[in-house]
Amino acid sequence: MASPVSVYNSNALDTHISSSSRESLKMELLADVSLLPGEERIIDKETIYICPFNGAVKGKVLITNYRLYFKSVDADVVVMLDVPLGAISRVEKMGGASSRGENSYGLDITCKDMRNLRFALKQEGHSRRDIFELLFKYAFPLSHGLPLFAYVTQEKYGENGWDIYKPIEEFRRQGLPNNKWRITFINKNYELCDTYPTVLAVPFKSKEEDLRRVAAFRSKGRIPVLSWIHRENQAVIVRCSQPLVGMSGKRNKDDERYLDVIREANDSTKLTIYDARPSVNAVANKATGGGYEGDEYQSAELVFLDIQNIHVMRESLKKLKDIVYPNVEESHWLSSLESTHWLEHVKLVLSGAIQVADKVSSGNSVLVHCSDGWDRTAQLTSLAMLMLDSHYRTLRGFQVLIEKEWISFGHKFASRIGHGDKNHADQDRSPVFVQFIDCVWQMTKQFPTAFEFNERLLLTILDHLYSCCFGTFLYNCESARDQHEVRLKTVSLWSLVNSKMEMYLNPFYTPESGRVLYPVASMRHLELWVTYYIRWNPRIRQQQQSPVEQRYKELLALRDEYLKKLEELQLSDSSPSSRLANTPNTSSSTSSTPPQQYTHLQTPL
Amino acid sequence: MEFSEHIKTANVEDVVLRQTLHPPSRGTLCVTGHHLLFSDREEGSCRQVLLLLRNIDAIEKRISGSSGTISIKCKDLRVLHLDIPGMEQCLNIARSIETLSCLEAVSEMYPFFYRPSNASLQDQWGLSSPEKHYSQMTELHDRWRLSTVNRHYSVCPSYPPAVIVPKNIDDAMLEKIAKFRQRGRFPVLCYYHRKNGMVIMSSSQPLTGANRKRCMEDEFLLQAVIDGSDKGYIIDTRSSQQALQARITGGGFESKSGYSSWKRLHRQMERGKALQESLIKLVEACGDESHNMDRWLSKLENSKWLSHVQTALSTAGLLAECVERDGHSVLVHGSEGTDSTLLISTLAQLIMDPCCRTLEGFLALLEREWVQAGHPFQQRCSHSAYSHARLQQESPVFLLLLDCVWQLWRQFPLALGFSEALLLRLATEAYASNYGTFLCNNQQERCVLRVKENTRCLFQALLRPRERDGYSNPLYEPTELAIWPSVHPQSLQLWRGFFLRWTPQARHLEEAQEEIRNMIIEWGKLALS
Repeated sequence: MASPVSVYNSNALDTHISSSSRESLKMELLADVSLLPGEERIIDKETIYICPFNGAVKGKVLITNYRLYFKSVDADVVVMLDVPLGAISRVEKMGGASSRGENSYGLDITCKDMRNLRFALKQEGHSRRDIFELLFKYAFPLSHGLPLFAYVTQEKYGENGWDIYKPIEEFRRQGLPNNKWRITFINKNYELCDTYPTVLAVPFKSKEEDLRRVAAFRSKGRIPVLSWIHRENQAVIVRCSQPLVGMSGKRNKDDERYLDVIREANDSTKLTIYDARPSVNAVANKATGGGYEGDEYQSAELVFLDIQNIHVMRESLKKLKDIVYPNVEESHWLSSLESTHWLEHVKLVLSGAIQVADKVSSGNSVLVHCSDGWDRTAQLTSLAMLMLDSHYRTLRGFQVLIEKEWISFGHKFASRIGHGDKNHADQDRSPVFVQFIDCVWQMTKQFPTAFEFNERLLLTILDHLYSCCFGTFLYNCESARDQHEVRLKTVSLWSLVNSKMEMYLNPFYTPESGRVLYPVASMRHLELWVTYYIRWNPRIRQQQQSPVEQRYKELLALRDEYLKKLEELQLSDSSPSSRLANTPNTSSSTSSTPPQQYTHLQTPL
Repeated sequence: MEFSEHIKTANVEDVVLRQTLHPPSRGTLCVTGHHLLFSDREEGSCRQVLLLLRNIDAIEKRISGSSGTISIKCKDLRVLHLDIPGMEQCLNIARSIETLSCLEAVSEMYPFFYRPSNASLQDQWGLSSPEKHYSQMTELHDRWRLSTVNRHYSVCPSYPPAVIVPKNIDDAMLEKIAKFRQRGRFPVLCYYHRKNGMVIMSSSQPLTGANRKRCMEDEFLLQAVIDGSDKGYIIDTRSSQQALQARITGGGFESKSGYSSWKRLHRQMERGKALQESLIKLVEACGDESHNMDRWLSKLENSKWLSHVQTALSTAGLLAECVERDGHSVLVHGSEGTDSTLLISTLAQLIMDPCCRTLEGFLALLEREWVQAGHPFQQRCSHSAYSHARLQQESPVFLLLLDCVWQLWRQFPLALGFSEALLLRLATEAYASNYGTFLCNNQQERCVLRVKENTRCLFQALLRPRERDGYSNPLYEPTELAIWPSVHPQSLQLWRGFFLRWTPQARHLEEAQEEIRNMIIEWGKLALS
């Protein structure tokens, strides 16, 4: 008899590796994959997947113009991989023709989504040359003059996600324009600022010439514009880039006046300027012509939020990957986690957003910027808006928030993610948006009933941040998107989401419209998002849906059944009761009581 | 009453109570023999805080001018500040609290005075007894018997009067075996696995000593346990090094030669002082109000609390694996068999046995494996993390158990029939209680003090209909399957509900969870009606 394993292991929970019968293994690989419209086979090959959790697994790999698919053969457990090529950041050859040792010759693939893949191939006859070249070509289509897959596929959905965000409608929802704020189309040809959207909300008092003069003093022409206004106290969140102060300490009267006009709009005593950067970085930016608002802005106060730049965030996430993939650094897990500083960065972003939200809800207008105003600024404004405005906590509202604060205001998705680009070492890459989604996840953890959407939505968003299957996250700004006709030629991610909404709903959602959510940005209350960052590890219990949520949904289904039965009963009752219509007291009291109970208990589901 | 000699000032007016989660309030403070009572006398509010003096772990007093402040740190980790006018009154109150909160005499403790109107002393005490347990498990009767060799607590003072042992081991043999095991804790049955007939036994270490003494009867008993099957396992909760060293002081372990069919597995579990110090460090880190929280994760790691949780769960997992997956019987012991032994045996039963996962089942398990089996609650829980007193026998083993159960509960939110609130309540009651359940160190002491006759039973109280609702899990779905916990460090979490319970941050999460709970209960009722 085998003695029990000396180390208790809890691997019984593997789910992405499931045992299967022999017959299915014989099936043709292509038959397993349901290809998307426009997806085509490029190459397939016998290969060995060097699985970091199960060792070398023999199988077959299929590469299409959209994905890399692998399935094991002749193993007792089926190992499967289904990776969109968009998630690949780097493909390298591993070993040479002369390298020795088993499985030392093949491909080494680095992914953007916290994993690496290694495949071993036969050493003889340059067997990897074709697959390497084809994979390289299709994983980085833009570097090879090929279109991104979003332009190839023409998947149809019942919903059109491009309709989800209409700037004017969103401003109207916020109560704009009003007597203090107006909508301007000054940027309709992207002449004022090529990274801003065409529709902007600016102080009513500022004329178009004023805006142009302010644009000259703000980095990349990203002038202060309104992101959000508080319905009651009229305090606003205004976003922009850094002022072009430079070493000589230049001033710009128009900019100073413009900021004062913003302050005046709701009679804030001071306009609080949140500079997301650490103060040293803000000072250092003067050397390259940037800087921050000095004492000449008499009606403003400046607060530095100490959030590090994109390079620090990139290195931090890289360190996190090192301790979770392929193996979790278990012996000193917490101190290793601490040394990545990832949670600390999350904390600083969240606490910055809390300060913004708190200022605004107490009636003071704020201005948020970093250097260019498209990374940290987007994090801060969107998180603060999520805290202040419950509309953004609904499934559709959250889509609007991303469309508005991230996509339309020019978060450089193309540069940060590197869609279709072979330059994996590009210094522009950074997980700023991932970090934002992490912050949102932390909030959903702390307020389990405040968000209409669930964790699956966040995971889906992050998966398609890389996949290049939808047009949503492509390109750096609206002008580039117009130029590439993204709305015409690609499908929006929200088309997918909104045509399967029930998958992304949080059953525990209870709307509370007036409530401002202040999450706790203390390290004690932040958690590592294990189900995202460590999800490739089979030891992490894979739960597409928490069992609590699942059980609750079952109960809701039961309720629906019960309601239906009740309705039927009422229908079959209706004829005798209509005959008794002359005695309304009895009929109404018997048949309408139960439904009234339901309306009483109605939740938003 | 003799308490009065410790109370120089019984009443102070105009005291300000400051506590997190509440605005400061002004009112009257009273000290009684067992309680601190604060009542708010302000317009429109009638806040009352009634605190068992026994719950107070440490007090600090600061005198400034004519008034003083007493900071009270409780065993349930609550912290209260009282601003008391008048230096003398403040000192008097402080002195009373210091004396009355750590009176040693059990018979003077509050459970002997607690007389709620809704229960009488005639109510049933306890949920189960070894006799009842045995009679319910008819499958056992072929090979096991109920021995009353300990009816006068003379063979083993920390065992209950009746224990389950192999049928062919008579009382005379048991008496001999008891002499061979530390403090007489001879091997007894704690769990019978219905699926395959395998058992979990527990005991204390054998007293082999430096000259490797043997005891034929002890070897015979263990042979009788495995009867017919090829082997059994002994899980020793000490490292093999520690077990070797124990020989020098008269203890030891089961040698290969004497117990050839038994295979020993050593798993070092932290106990005693080390565990208490771990708790102190953790609570200190949790209470750190400084803004520099950059080092929180390191502090959490340095406290080692989570690694104790991990060791306990993984050792329990190993035990359950031996029994459930490999089909062998297991004997568990460390040195005394009253701490880590009980911890892993209890956890293994929760992992394997669905009957232990209901509210009643869990409480009965605790009664059997902790109260009756002689976990020395009195010694282990006399102080908690804030105390400045010199450490004696304190050790948060029971709290560690509750934390491990919480981890199970979090990983299997549907599999356990009770709620987090139950675990929190038990964590409080073990240290300071109106009930007699956790008084004393073992059944013999309880018998001498007539605890059963003179106090109320906590477990019965928790099962009363009104209480019960709050302590059951509305999502509970019984499963016959074993629930194998994941013990990877990234799967284990700080039990915020307990350790950060009194921070404002934990409060809103508690509220949201309560909201979800109510939603589930409401819909559950409707869906099933």
